[in-house]
Amino acid sequence: MPEVDNDLNLNKDKENKDHDYWRSFRDLFRDKSLIEANQSEFAEGVKDDFEPSKLSGISRRKFLALAGASAALAGVGCSDYRSKGHIIPYNKMPEEIVVGNPNYYASTSTVCAHSCGILIKTREGRPIKVSGNPDHPVSKGKTCSKCEASILSLYDPERLKFPMKKNHNGEFNKYDWKPIDDEIIDILNKTGDKQIAFVAHSVISPTGKKVLDDFTKKYPNTKIYSYELFNEQNRNSAWKKCYGADVAPLIKWNDAKIIVGLESDFLGTDGNKVETARLFAEGREVHNLDKFNRLYVVEGSLSVTGMSSDYRFRLRPDAQYEFVMSLLNEVSKSGVAVPLDAEKLADYSLENFAGKYSLSKKNLKLLVNDLVNNQGASIVYAGRTLPEQVHIAVNLLNEVLGNSKLYRDDTSSINVLPLSKYEEFEELVSQINSGNVGVLIHYDSNPVFHLPHDLGYAEALKKVHVIISFSGSQNDSSVLGNYTLPINHDFESWGDAKTRTGFYSMQQPVIDPIFDTRQKEAILLTWLKGKPVVYDDMIYHKYLMDNWQNNIYPSLNSKMSFKELWVAALHDGVVIFDEAPQSYGSFNKNVLTELQSNSKASSNYLVVLRDSYQAGDGRFLNNGWMLEFPHPISKITWDNYAAVSHTTAKELGIESNDKILVEVGNRKLEIPAFIQPGAADKTVTIELGFGRKTIGIVGTNVGFDANVLRSKSGGVSNWIYKANKVSKGSGSHKLVSTMEHTMFAEALTEDAAKKRKIIQEGTVKEYKKNPHFIKTENPEKMESLYNPHAYPGVKWGMAVDLNKCIGCGECVIACNAENNIPIVGKDQVAVSREMEWLRVDRYYSGTIDEPVTSNQLMLCQQCDNAPCENVCPVAATTHSPDGLNQMIYNRCVGTRYCSNNCPYKVRRFNFFNYRDHFKNSYQQSHLFSLVNNPEVTVRSRGVMEKCTFCIQRIMDARSEAIKEHRPLKGSDVRTACQDACNTEAIKFGDMNDKESEFYKKYRTHELGYYVLEDVNTRPNVTYIAKLRNTESEEV
Amino acid sequence: MNRNQNSLYGVAALFDSPDDILKAAKKVQADGYKKYDVNTPYPVHGMDSAMGFKASKMGYVTLFFGFAAAAFILGFMWWTLAVSYPLVIGGKPFFALPAFVPITFEFTVLLGVLSTVFGMIAVVFNLPFNNHPIHDTNYMRNVSSDKYGLVIEAEDPLFEQDKVVELLKSLGSKNIELVYNPEEEKYSIFQPKFLVFLGIIAVLTACSTYVTLNKFMYLPPFDFMLNQNKGVSQEESSFFYDKREMRTPVAGTVARGYIPYAYTGETDPKEVLSNPLLPTKKVLELGQKKFLTFCSPCHGNYADGKSRLMGQFPPGPTLHSQRIINFTDGQIYNVITNGFSIMPSYKRQITRDERWAIVNYIRVLQRAQNPKPSDFTEIKEINKESGKNVPN
Amino acid sequence: MTKDYSVELALVEGNPPLRELDEVISAPIDSRPSHKYHIALSITGSLLLIGAICVGLTFYYGIGMWGNNIPVAWAFGITNFVFWVGIGHAGTLISAILYLLRQHWRTGIARFAEAMTIFAVICAGLFPIIHVGRPWLAGYLIPYPNQHSIWPNFISPLVWDVFAVSTYLTVSLVFWYVGLIPDFATLRDRATNKIKKTIYSVFSLGWRHSNRHWVHYEKVYMILAGLATPLVLSVHTVVSWDFAAAILPGWHSTIFPPYFVAGAIFSGFAMVSTVLIFVRKVFDMEHIITLDHLEKMNKIILLTGSMVGYSYIIEWFMGWYSGSPFELFVTLNRAFGPYAWGYWIMISCNVFFPQLFWFKKIRRSIPATLIIVILVNVGMWFERFVIIASSLSRDFLPTSWHYFKPTLVDLGILFGSFGLFFTLILLFAKTLPVISITEIKGVIQGAQPTHGGEHES
Repeated sequence: MPEVDNDLNLNKDKENKDHDYWRSFRDLFRDKSLIEANQSEFAEGVKDDFEPSKLSGISRRKFLALAGASAALAGVGCSDYRSKGHIIPYNKMPEEIVVGNPNYYASTSTVCAHSCGILIKTREGRPIKVSGNPDHPVSKGKTCSKCEASILSLYDPERLKFPMKKNHNGEFNKYDWKPIDDEIIDILNKTGDKQIAFVAHSVISPTGKKVLDDFTKKYPNTKIYSYELFNEQNRNSAWKKCYGADVAPLIKWNDAKIIVGLESDFLGTDGNKVETARLFAEGREVHNLDKFNRLYVVEGSLSVTGMSSDYRFRLRPDAQYEFVMSLLNEVSKSGVAVPLDAEKLADYSLENFAGKYSLSKKNLKLLVNDLVNNQGASIVYAGRTLPEQVHIAVNLLNEVLGNSKLYRDDTSSINVLPLSKYEEFEELVSQINSGNVGVLIHYDSNPVFHLPHDLGYAEALKKVHVIISFSGSQNDSSVLGNYTLPINHDFESWGDAKTRTGFYSMQQPVIDPIFDTRQKEAILLTWLKGKPVVYDDMIYHKYLMDNWQNNIYPSLNSKMSFKELWVAALHDGVVIFDEAPQSYGSFNKNVLTELQSNSKASSNYLVVLRDSYQAGDGRFLNNGWMLEFPHPISKITWDNYAAVSHTTAKELGIESNDKILVEVGNRKLEIPAFIQPGAADKTVTIELGFGRKTIGIVGTNVGFDANVLRSKSGGVSNWIYKANKVSKGSGSHKLVSTMEHTMFAEALTEDAAKKRKIIQEGTVKEYKKNPHFIKTENPEKMESLYNPHAYPGVKWGMAVDLNKCIGCGECVIACNAENNIPIVGKDQVAVSREMEWLRVDRYYSGTIDEPVTSNQLMLCQQCDNAPCENVCPVAATTHSPDGLNQMIYNRCVGTRYCSNNCPYKVRRFNFFNYRDHFKNSYQQSHLFSLVNNPEVTVRSRGVMEKCTFCIQRIMDARSEAIKEHRPLKGSDVRTACQDACNTEAIKFGDMNDKESEFYKKYRTHELGYYVLEDVNTRPNVTYIAKLRNTESEEV
Repeated sequence: MNRNQNSLYGVAALFDSPDDILKAAKKVQADGYKKYDVNTPYPVHGMDSAMGFKASKMGYVTLFFGFAAAAFILGFMWWTLAVSYPLVIGGKPFFALPAFVPITFEFTVLLGVLSTVFGMIAVVFNLPFNNHPIHDTNYMRNVSSDKYGLVIEAEDPLFEQDKVVELLKSLGSKNIELVYNPEEEKYSIFQPKFLVFLGIIAVLTACSTYVTLNKFMYLPPFDFMLNQNKGVSQEESSFFYDKREMRTPVAGTVARGYIPYAYTGETDPKEVLSNPLLPTKKVLELGQKKFLTFCSPCHGNYADGKSRLMGQFPPGPTLHSQRIINFTDGQIYNVITNGFSIMPSYKRQITRDERWAIVNYIRVLQRAQNPKPSDFTEIKEINKESGKNVPN
Repeated sequence: MTKDYSVELALVEGNPPLRELDEVISAPIDSRPSHKYHIALSITGSLLLIGAICVGLTFYYGIGMWGNNIPVAWAFGITNFVFWVGIGHAGTLISAILYLLRQHWRTGIARFAEAMTIFAVICAGLFPIIHVGRPWLAGYLIPYPNQHSIWPNFISPLVWDVFAVSTYLTVSLVFWYVGLIPDFATLRDRATNKIKKTIYSVFSLGWRHSNRHWVHYEKVYMILAGLATPLVLSVHTVVSWDFAAAILPGWHSTIFPPYFVAGAIFSGFAMVSTVLIFVRKVFDMEHIITLDHLEKMNKIILLTGSMVGYSYIIEWFMGWYSGSPFELFVTLNRAFGPYAWGYWIMISCNVFFPQLFWFKKIRRSIPATLIIVILVNVGMWFERFVIIASSLSRDFLPTSWHYFKPTLVDLGILFGSFGLFFTLILLFAKTLPVISITEIKGVIQGAQPTHGGEHES
C-alpha cells in the first residue's frame, strides 16, 4: 500500500490512542512492532522469504506426497465426458405426437381371413404393440396371438428389401422398381390370349378385389385362384346342399346350454376363435350359474376345446359320421321326429358304437338326454376338417332338435371372393402344362408349400416363363419364379376388409415402408396405368378413397359428408351400418339321400392334419415368438410332431421323440412321435405349417412338412387320410417342451397338482350345494410371526377366473411383446431356460386315456411375504408401496437364490445374453430392436427378471392421474395379458378399493383360492376355482 | 549390521538345558535385575514365575473390542435397513433382529481376533523390530534353535559388565557374548530415488484413474444395460436413412383422439366448431396458464394488445375490440389453430383442449374489461360470503 | 511332570536333538524340489489350468455355460462351495479345539491342517463369486457407503455367508500366521542365503523368542483357539442356513446346522488324512506324522460319519413326521427319484464304508485308510449335490420341474478347484515348515524342566 495511506493510518492511530480502549499492554504502550503488524496483512515470520532448507523434513515429505496426490487428482480431473451421441428432435412436430407418449391407430389385421380389428400402439411413429380394437363389432377389443406376433415380421431383418429378378444362373439379383415395372408391363401386354393367373389367399378387401377386377378388365384372360390351407368349404358346401345359402350361419355360442364339438377346435383354430371364445366364456360365468353351458367334445386328439370340455370322448375322426348317425338314431328313439327311414337309422346303435370305440355309455346317455331335453338350446358343431357328409348329418341333427334357434340372425359371414375348388387348381395345372398360362402371379401366397404335392404344381411352374411373386420374404414358391416383388407389411398398408354383414373394417398404415417395398395393390395399379410408369406412395391410398367415395359411401346412405365419414372410419377402424344378413334358407329334404350311404370307419391307421397353434399355415414359421410359444396342449416348442395315444405307441414300439414313418398312398413322412394323453388309438394327429424349405434364419429346420401327405383327391376329407402303413421310423428327434411329462409315469407324481392344492376344482352342482366347498381357511387369517406391513393407497392384485381360462395362451405372446422378452431358441428351451414371464401350466389328472385337463395361468404372484426378497443378498428385489414385488435389474448380481426360493418358479434368469446368443445375434440387429417397448428395460446377461404386473403401465396410469389431480383407481390400469385375454379371464385392480368390482366380485369370491396357500406367502393373485358342469358332484 | 563398539547393549549367555536356564532366570531375578530377558526356542514351563511375570492381560483387549464390534455392527444393520433406506423385504419388519444375529456374531469374533493379535504384536511387543541388537548374533542363532539364552542389558541400573559376566559364568554358561548396539543408519529425504518413486506413483495413479473412469467402465461387461437396444426418443438411428429414430406418422392416417381439424389452412371458414368445454374453474385456470405462456407476449397479459416484447416484434391487436368480441369461440379457436396474418399456427405447441381453455379465458378477460353492472353486484355477493370488504 | 505326559513322548518317535528337528522340518524348504515334486506340481497345475479356462469361458459367455436351469438355478457351483468350506473345518478344529483339549498329538499335524483350512476356504470363496450372473458386481454384497445409500440385505443368508466365510478366512490366516512367527524366526536365524534371510526377517517381524513375549503369546494363542472354536462351528451353521433358511422342501430343515457341521468335520478329516498320507511319504516324516495320528483321525472320522448317518435317518423321520406332503415327497424323491443314483452313492460312501473303522486293523492300515477317506470325500461331495439338485429339480409346482445335467465346464471347474487346492498345498509344503518347529520342540522328551515344574497342563 502507498506510504501516504500508511502514515495516515498511523496518524489516525495516534489521534485515537489517548481516548481509545487498549487491548494489550503492547497496545497501550504503543508498541511499534504491533502497529506495523496491524498494517501488514501477514503475521510476523510469514513475511520472511520461503526457504525450503529451513522447513522441517516432515513438511517436505508432505509436500511431495501432496504433489503426487494432486497429480492423481489432475488425472481424475482430465476425465472427459463420454459422447452419448446426438439428440435428433423433430424439426416439424406432428400434432398428434408428444415425445415419450404413445399414439394408438385403429387398423385391421390381415394375417388371417378373420381380419380382426386391431389397435396399434406407436411411439414416435414406430409401432411397438398390437392389441384389439374395442370398437370392432367382432373382435371387440381382442385379438389373437398371431396378430400380436405379426409385429415381429415388420421388424424382421430378413424382409425383402428391394425387388429381385432371377438371372439365367437361377440367382436372384437386386433390381430397381422402374425397369421391373417396364419389363412386366411389356410382358403383360404381350401375353395375348394366354392366361394371366393369380394365385392368392382369400381376398377380404372389397377395394382389393376391385383392383383385381380392374386388372381383369384390362387383361380379360386373367383368372384368380384363391385358397386357404384350412377352410370352411366342406361346411359351406354341406350347408348349400341343406339350406341353399352359400355360407353357413354363425352360432350364438353364448346362448347354447349344450355344446357338442365334433373334431372341432372352435376355441383354438376352427373359425373365428377370438369371437367364439368370448361368446363361449359368457356361458362360463360363475356369477350366473343358470347360464352355465355344458361342453361335450368328441375328438381324435386333445385340442384347446377338448381341454375345456366337461365331457370328452376320444374318437377317430372317420367314425364321426357313424357317431352323428347314432345320435340321430337315439334322439329319434326318444321321440324326436327324424326324417330318415327307421331301419336305415337302426344300423347305427349308440350301444354298439360305444362298445366298438370303448366310449363311456353312461356319458353318451347323458349326452343324448341333454340334446333331447335342451332342444333349441343346444348346438352340435362339426369341425371344418370333417367331410361334407358329416356336416350334412350334423345339420340334420341340429334341424330336428330345433337348434336353428342358435343360428345368428344379426350378422352373417361374407366371402368377398369365394375360394377356388381343388378342381380349379387341377384345371390351372393342366392349363400350365398345356402352355396356356403366360404369366403366373403369386399374390402374397405360397402355393408350392400349401397345395397338395400330387397336384404337380411345383413341377408345372417350370413350364411358365414369367412367374411373379408378391411376397414379404422369399418363400418356397417365389424361389421357383423369376420375379420377387417385396410388398408392404400390414402396418405399412392401406386397405379395407369385409368379412361380415353390417360393417367394414379399415386398415391404415402406422409407419412408412421401412424398405423399398410397395403395397401389392399399388403394384398392380402401377401396371394398370401402363407406361410411362409413374408410381407414388399414395397411389393405393387415393384409389381406396375414390372407391369408397364413389362406390361404398353411397351404399352406406350415411348422414355424414364423405370427408367426415372417411376420417371417422379411419379413427374408429370400422364403419358400422345397416345391412341385412343373408338368410340361411330352409332345410330341403332331398339332401337326405346323401345320408343313405352307410360308411363305417375302417380300423387301420388314420392321419389327421390339423391347423397349427404356432406356425399358422406356415406364415409364422419365421416368427420367434410364435415358435417359442409353448403348444397349448403339449407345451412343445420349435417343432411339430405326430400325436399318438400311448396304446398306439406301444403297438408301434416307440417312445416320445422316436420317429415314425407314416405312409399315405405313395406319400411318405418321417416325423417324431409324441405320446398325447387322450388321443384316440390308431390315429396320428399332425399339425401343418411346419418344415418350410425356403425361409428365414429363425424358421430353418423347424418341424416337418406334413403337407406332403395330402392329396388332391383327398382322403376321408382333405385333411383326414387313411394311412396304409404307420411304422417305427429310423432314429429320433428331440422334441423340447417347457414342461416335463412325468405326471402319469410315476406313482410318486400322480395327481400331484390336486394333492398339493395347486389346482382346486369342483362341479357346478357341488358349488350350488356348498358355495364354500373350496375354502379351507382364509389366508389373511393364517398365523404370521410379524404383523403385515400396511399398504395405504392402491394395492395391486390380480384374479384369474379358471372357468373362463381356456389355456390358449394369447396372454403369453402379449406379455412377450409388452415386456421385451427375448427369444432363446430350441437349445435353451431344451435345458429349461425359456424366458416367458407368464406361462399356462397344464395339469392332467385321471387316466392317460381319459385325462382331465386343468389349465392354470402362472405368473409372479407378487406375494406379500415374498420368499424371494428375503434371500436376495443385495436387496435387488423388494416390495413397493403399492404391494408389488419389484425387480431392480441394475442392482441384480444374479445369485439366482430368489429363483430357488420362489415356490412358483416364475422368475427367469438371463443365462446368456440371449439377444446375442440366439441365431447369431439376430435379435440385436438395429431393426429388430425397434420392436422393443421403450418403456421397459432390455435386460442383460446375468440378470434375474420376472412379471411386475406391467409396472410401466401402472406408472403411466399414475402419472395420468397426477396430471388430472385425481386419485389413481384400480380400473385405470390394464395389464398386457388382461388386454389380450379373449375370455376376460384375467382381472386386475386395487385390492384396497373395497367398493370396486374387482374386489367384490373376484378378489373375495368364495371360489377364490391361492396356489400353495399353506406356504403362507400371501399371494396377490387369486385363482377362481374351475367348476366343471358335469352331472356328478365330483370332478 | 555394523555395530558401535562403544555402546554395549548387554551381556548374553547361553545355557544347554531348560533346567539351567530356569535356575539362571531365578537367580538373575532374585539379584534384582530388571532389564534382562530370557530367550528360548519354545516357551519353557515355569519360566513365567521364574521371571516373576503376572498372568497376561490380553484377554481384556479381546473382550472390549469384541463387545464394541457387536454393538457397532448391530447398530449399523439397524441404521442401514431401518433408517438410512428402509425397504419392505419379504414382509419382515425393518429391524429383523433374528436375522441379524449371525452377522453380529461373526463380526464380534473377527474384530476380537484382529484387535487382540494386532494389539499384542504391534502394541505390546512393539514388532516389527528387525534391527534389535541381539539379532544376527551367535547368541540369537543358538536360542532360536536349541540353546537357552539369558541377556542382561547394559541399561539395567545394577549393570556392571564384569559382575554380570561373573554371575552368568557362575550360573554355568559356557558361552558368554557381549552384544553391542547397531549403528544408526541415516537416510536423507531428497534422495532422487525417493522423488522419482513419488513421481511414478503420481503418474500411475493419474493414468489408472483416467483409464478406469473413462475407458474401462465403458467396456463390456460394464456397459451391459447401459446402451439399451430399443428405440429411444430423440436418439440418433443407425438404421433409418435420415438418422431419426423418431418417425413421422404416415400422411392421411388418423390416430386415436386426433381427428384432424376440419378447417386446416382456412383463415376464415364458413362454419366453425363449437366450444366443447364449459368455463369451469379448472378450465379457466388452465386457459390462464396457457394464455400467459403463449398469447400474452404479443397480446399482453390482459389481452389488451400491450405486448410484453417492447416492440421487438409487432404487437398483437387487443382482443377487446368489438370485432373479436363478436367472434364465435370457434373462430377464435380457428385463429389459434391456423394462425392469422403474421400470427403463426399454434396447433403444435398447444393441445386442442388447451386451445379451447384459452378461448374460454379470453372470454373472461373480455368480460372483465367491459363488465355489466350486474357483475359488480355479483362480485359483491361473492366477496360478502368470503368476508372480504370491497370499495364500491 | 504328570503321568500322561510321558505317554505323549511317543509323539515324536526316537526323539532327536532339537537341531536335528530343525533340519528335518526345514529340509523340504532348503533342498531343491525333487522329481516326485515336479510331477505332482505339473499334474495339479494342469488341473488348475483347466479350471481357469472353464472359469474364463463362464465369465465370457455367462452362466449358461453351466448346466444350471430354472428350477435348478444352483448346482455344481454351490455344491463345490459347501464342499470346500466343509473341508476347511478340519484344520481349525484340529488346531483350535484339540489345542483347547490339550491333545498334544495335534502338534504334528496342526500346522498342516491349518494350511489346508486356508487353502480350502480360498477354493470355497471363489465359487460364490464365479457362480453369480454378474461377477463384476459381486462388490454389491459388501456394505460400502454409496451415494444412493443402497445397502446389502442383511436378512439374506448369502450376506451371512460373506461375513462368515471372510471372517473364517481372516481368523484362520491370523491363527496360522501367529503360529508361524517363531518358526520364521528360527528359519531366519539358520538361513545362509541373503534373500531368504530378508524374506524370513520380514515375516518373522523380528521375533526374538523372548520369554517376555512368550508369556503373552501363549495367552493369545489360547484366546484365538477359544474364539476359533465357536467360529468354526458357526461357519458351517451359516452355510447350512443358505438352505435351511429357504422355504424349499428338502432345504427347509432344522437339523441342517448340526448335520452340516458334523459332515464338515467328517469330510475335513478325510481330506487331511488323504493329504497327510502322501506328505509323510513324500517328505519322509513318518516319525513325526505317525501312524497314531492317522488312527486317531480315523476314530474321529468314524464318529462324525456315524453322526452324518444319523442325520440321514432323521431326515426320513422328518419326512414322515412333518405330515407335509412336500417333505414326504422330497424324501422319497431323493431315494427313488431321478437323483437316486447320487443318493445311494452318498449313503454308501458316508455311512457304510466309514463303519469299517471299527476294526483296529483297518484303522491302522494305510492303504485301507486311504481308500476309505477318498470314498468319504466323494460321498460328502455327493451329499451336497443331492441336497441341492434333487430338492430343486422337483419343488412345489410339478410344471416347473426339470432335471439338471452338468456340462463339461461344470466338471472342468470342479477339477480346477482340486487343482488349485493341491497346487497351494504343494507350494506350501515347499516353502514353509509343514510342522510347527516351536511346538514340536516343546513336546519332545527333555524339552521341559525336570523339576520345579509348576507348569500348567
